[in-house]
Parts: sequence; structure tokens; C-alpha cells
Amino acid sequence: MNIARSIRISRKQLAAHKLRTALALTGIVIGVSAVIIMVAIGNGAQQEVLSKIEAMGTDLLIVNAGQVQKSAGRQQIRGTVTTLALADVEAIARECSAVKVAAPVQSKKIQVKYGNLSTNTTVVGTTTEFQEVRNFRIAAGAFFTDDENLASRRAAVLGQSVVNNLFEGRNPIGETIRVGRVPFEIIGVMESKGVDLNGADQDDQIFIPIRTALRRVFNVSYIGAINIRATNTQAMRQAVAQVSELLRDRHRLNKQQKPDDFTIQNQADLLVAQRETTNTFTMLIGSIASISLLVGGIGILAIMLIAIRERTNEIGLRMAVGASRKDIMTQFVIEASILGVGGGLVGIFLGVLGAVVVRFGTSWAVTISPNSVALAFGFSLLVGLFFGVYPARRASLLDPIEALRSE
Amino acid sequence: MNNNVIQGTNLAKIYNKGGGGEVGAVQNVSVEIRRGEYAAIMGASGSGKSTLMNILGCLDKPTSGSLKLDGIEVSTLTDEELARVRNKKIGFVFQSFNLLARTNALENVELPLIYSDKTDISRLARHALESVGLADRVHHNPSELSGGQQQRVAIARALVTDPEIIFADEPTGNLDSKSSLEIMALFQQLNEKGRTIVLVTHEPDIAQHARRIIQIADGRIVSDEVNPNPRVAEQEMSALLPKEVAHENR
Ligand SMILES: Nc1ncnc2c1ncn2[C@@H]1O[C@H](COP(=O)(O)OP(=O)(O)OP(=O)(O)O)[C@@H](O)[C@H]1O
Ligand SMILES: [Mg+2]
Repeated sequence: MNIARSIRISRKQLAAHKLRTALALTGIVIGVSAVIIMVAIGNGAQQEVLSKIEAMGTDLLIVNAGQVQKSAGRQQIRGTVTTLALADVEAIARECSAVKVAAPVQSKKIQVKYGNLSTNTTVVGTTTEFQEVRNFRIAAGAFFTDDENLASRRAAVLGQSVVNNLFEGRNPIGETIRVGRVPFEIIGVMESKGVDLNGADQDDQIFIPIRTALRRVFNVSYIGAINIRATNTQAMRQAVAQVSELLRDRHRLNKQQKPDDFTIQNQADLLVAQRETTNTFTMLIGSIASISLLVGGIGILAIMLIAIRERTNEIGLRMAVGASRKDIMTQFVIEASILGVGGGLVGIFLGVLGAVVVRFGTSWAVTISPNSVALAFGFSLLVGLFFGVYPARRASLLDPIEALRSE
Repeated sequence: MNNNVIQGTNLAKIYNKGGGGEVGAVQNVSVEIRRGEYAAIMGASGSGKSTLMNILGCLDKPTSGSLKLDGIEVSTLTDEELARVRNKKIGFVFQSFNLLARTNALENVELPLIYSDKTDISRLARHALESVGLADRVHHNPSELSGGQQQRVAIARALVTDPEIIFADEPTGNLDSKSSLEIMALFQQLNEKGRTIVLVTHEPDIAQHARRIIQIADGRIVSDEVNPNPRVAEQEMSALLPKEVAHENR
């Protein structure tokens, strides 16, 4: 018996029992579309995270004072370490060949007032290099210069959210705000940056010169972090080594054989780590969805067993007119495979449709992965084959006389 | 050239009953069917007619004995080989027609060809339907055909592979007397053209159409005789006709 003919017979049989065929398909359809939608959501989340990291630049290094600990996926600095100084930033910029620019950062959430309006926002003390290191751009007015920093001017540059909170859309440039009790003149507004990896609003910040910040606002002599941009992504390792060596030397850690009193965060490593995490996540939800494919396979199994019981007489007749056991087996395996493939195709259609609906119905980034589509489809074909073999074998082993006698 | 289409020697079929007892559905039967014969196997219900026919038709394997089909020993063949033999050399007609529902006459007749190496399936099936007088019912589904017509589709299905022999198990069992005569007429017509036919029935009136009558009881052949004056179905039908005409004219 040739395959084309078998497929034709099987198609006819399936078409003759529409409701049953539809029921057998349902499980597979749900399974395939679940895999596609789940993986699309996972991929979307991954790409969003990765694009955020990449937007910050893969050549970005962040030196934090003290040991950074990860807890619940967020980074936290334990205790206060007072050894990182402005002079370290200058030394890094001067002496490390793999470093392009470096900017100090000391920040804290403080109440900021304008007239009778106030808001709690992150006050960042830094230098003009911050713009280059972190890809922050000025939207209106100007960022403070080195001279303004050296002169400890009380100048502030606001993020968009702060402008919205305190000025309700009016132009803030030239106005005076109070940071804590210290008055600052607003000289510029930053372009909007959105939320960062940890979900913090990067527009809810104000920037002031680091010297002014240390002396007038924070009243300390140390800084919390140094943001560094390497000359290029390839120079990252070198930059990390140079900065680490220099800081250990300046902090006299080598002689005393002490551990680092700083932690260097590498965006490239973060990128790899994030990619691994989200890959694991995608795999996890993908495999959960595959379980529903398996359940779909059991649906095919059940429907095929019912079909074979109902068609016992037909099977007997086919044997009487010359169908061999192999022919009967082939026919039912093909029928189950058609169910698998059909369910796979409908599932792909619904899955893609579902992913598109999710994309427009929510704010999630959703990226359909061609791999997941191919995988889900292949799997549904396999499931059909696998769960078709047992009923097909049962059909092929029927005794023709008994089969013919059944009604 | 072997003159015997079928030669069975000492055939037996023993079923094990629950409790250790045995049923000899067919016991020590030796029988041969010659090419071109029209034989009826007759006997009471449970006498072993169907069992014997299934063995002769390679649908069932005998517990013991030898069976030659066209001179070839078939009792030792595998299931696959038996399927080939049935497909090529044997045609079956059953009491309940056994047509595939929701499948038209043409496709029902094509069924045996699907399992053969023939290529012009559709033409052969049409030809077979013509030979049973159903050229105009090719695209009808079984539910749109009368019982007699359905049985003729089944006969076309048995003929389509041009088999050595046709086995019919109570082919008129589900039919009224007029349709039964039509089927008997068809068999006689086919036999006159040389087709070998074995008819299984418990009705003497039906068996009388065959040219040889084999009687079996309790799984054994009790008599095997030539029927000197077979009934002629065509004549019986025309005898029916005036009555019907009269009936309709009244
Ligand atoms: N699978 C089986 N298992 C046990 N006994 C069986 C089996 N098939 C048939 N028999 C027995 O074998 C005997 C012959 O059965 P068979 O069907 O050949 O009779 P038959 O002459 O065709 O009867 P009928 O006219 O009612 O069709 C019966 O006694 C029956 O009960
Ligand atoms: Mg019987």
C-alpha cells in the first residue's frame, strides 16, 4: 500500500468524525500555542533586559565602595566603606590606559523643595564626565562644568520626573530649589532615560557637582562609587585589572594582604549572567508548556483507542480484502500523525496570534522565536507518532474473524 | 495447470472452551473445489459452515490438516503472506455487506485494490460495478442504496481483483426474497462466465441454486453431491413478475 493512498484514507476518516478529530486536536493545539506564547514572552523579557544593559554600554565598569552583595536579585552594599576618594577617580583617569573616562558618584535620597512643593529624589553628586560614562544627554540648559565643580557651585541638573513633580511642566531653568536646606540654581534638564535594570526610575534624579555634594549636602569626604568607561569593549578585562591594581595600591591593601575594599561590576559579565538567567527562565516556562503537549498526546491516544474500537469491523474487512497487519498499523500511525501535524499547525497559528494579542494587550515585550515554533511543531508530530503507535499496534493485532463479527 | 482451486485434506479447527473442554468446529474435513465450480456448503446453525469457509478462504488457520490453494500449500504461510493470498486470489461476500459507511460505492469497491499493486484502481472498480449492474450508482453511499444494491456493491468489491474464487457467507441472509433472487441470479451469471463460487447457507432454497451441494453437520461433511437440477434464479424472478404486475394493476 502506498503512503499517499494511506494518507488519503486517513484524511477521509478524520474528516468523517469532525467532533472527535477536533477534540483530539485540542490538547496538541493548546500545547503548541502555549509553548509559542510562553517562549515569546520569555524572549521578550530577555531582550528587554539585554537592551537595557547594552544601552548602558558593555564597556561600562562600576566600582563600588565595599563588598557588593546580591540579595533577591538586587545588589546591595553592606555597611559603609569610607576608603574611596575623589583622588582615586583622578588617579584612575590619569594612570589606567584602558580607561577612557571616569566619574565619581555619591548619591542619596533626599527631600528636594521648590516653593511649597517637595519630592524625595536621588541626589547624585558627580562630575561632567558622568554624561559620557553613562550616556546621559542634556535636554535643555547645560550640565555643570569642571570649573563649576571646582568652585563648588550650587548648580543642579534635573531629571524629567523631578521636573514633572516640582514644576508641573513649567520651564525650571533659572529657578532655585532646596536640596535639604541648601539652595541650588537649576541650570539644566536631562533627557528621559526610563527605568533601569532594577526597575528604578532614572529620571527621578538630580545631578549636582561632586565637590558641592560632599561639602554642602552629604557632609562626607568619601564617595560611594566610580563609573568608568573603558576605551572599548575588548579593553574591559584590562581596565578591570588596571583599576583593581591601582586601587589596591592606593588603598595599601597589598602590603597588609587585605581583601578588596571595593567591588568592580562589569557590564559585560552582567550581560552574560543576565542572558543565562533569562535563558533558564525561558527553558523553564517552555518545558512547563511542553507538558501540555504531552497531555495533548494522551488525548490523541484516547481518541485513537476509541476510533479503533468503533472501527473494529472495518479493520476486519480491510484484513479480509488483503490488508496486512503492517498496512493496518501504517494507516493508524498515519492518522495519529495527521492529528499531531494538524494540531501543530493550528497551534502555531493560535500561538502566533496569542503572542501578538499579548504584545498589544500588555506593555510586555513579546518576541516570537522561530526555534520555539519549529520545536513545538516537531514535538507535536513526535507526540502524534508516539501516542499513535500503541493504538495502531492494537488494531493491527486484531483477529480478522473476530473483528469482522463485531458490530 | 491445477484443476483444483482448493484442496483441503483432514482439516480441523478445535476451539478450547473454558473449563478444559474442546469444540471441534471443523473435524477431519477433506474437500476440493474445482475451477469453475459453484458449490454450496449447507448445514444447520453452529454446524461449522463459516469456520470451514474462513479456513478455505485463508482468513483463519486450521488447527491441523493441509490446505492447497492453486496447488500451493497455504497452511504454513505467515499472516503477511496470507494477506497477500487473500488480496490476490480470494473474494469475500458477507451476510451484512460490510461496506464502509460514508464512503461511496466506487471507493468501497476500490478498497481491495488499495492493498494490491494495481494502478488503474478507479477504472477497475467502475468496471466491476458495471458487471453487477450498478454503473449508475457509482457515487452513492451505502445509506443511499437498497439492501440488494449494497450486496451487489459488496460482490463488485469481491470481483474487482479478479480472484480465483469467491466465498459468500449467507449473502442473502439480510435480504428479502426478491433481492435474494437477484443476488442468486448474479452468482449464476458469474459462474456461467467461469467464476468459481462457494456459497455458504443454511437455507435449502438458496443452496439449490448451486451445482454442487456439500452438507455438513457437527463440523463434518455428511454428504457431497452434484445438484442435478439447479434452480435458475432468472426463471424464478420472471415467475414472480406476473404476480407483481397483477398486484400493481389491481
Ligand atoms: N472463536 C470461537 N471460539 C469458540 N467456539 C467457536 C468460535 N467460533 C466458532 N465457534 C463454535 O464453532 C461452531 C461452528 O461455528 P460456525 O460459526 O462455523 O457455525 P455456522 O455453521 O456458520 O453457524 P451459523 O449458521 O449460525 O452461522 C459453533 O459451535 C461455535 O460456537
Ligand atoms: Mg455462519
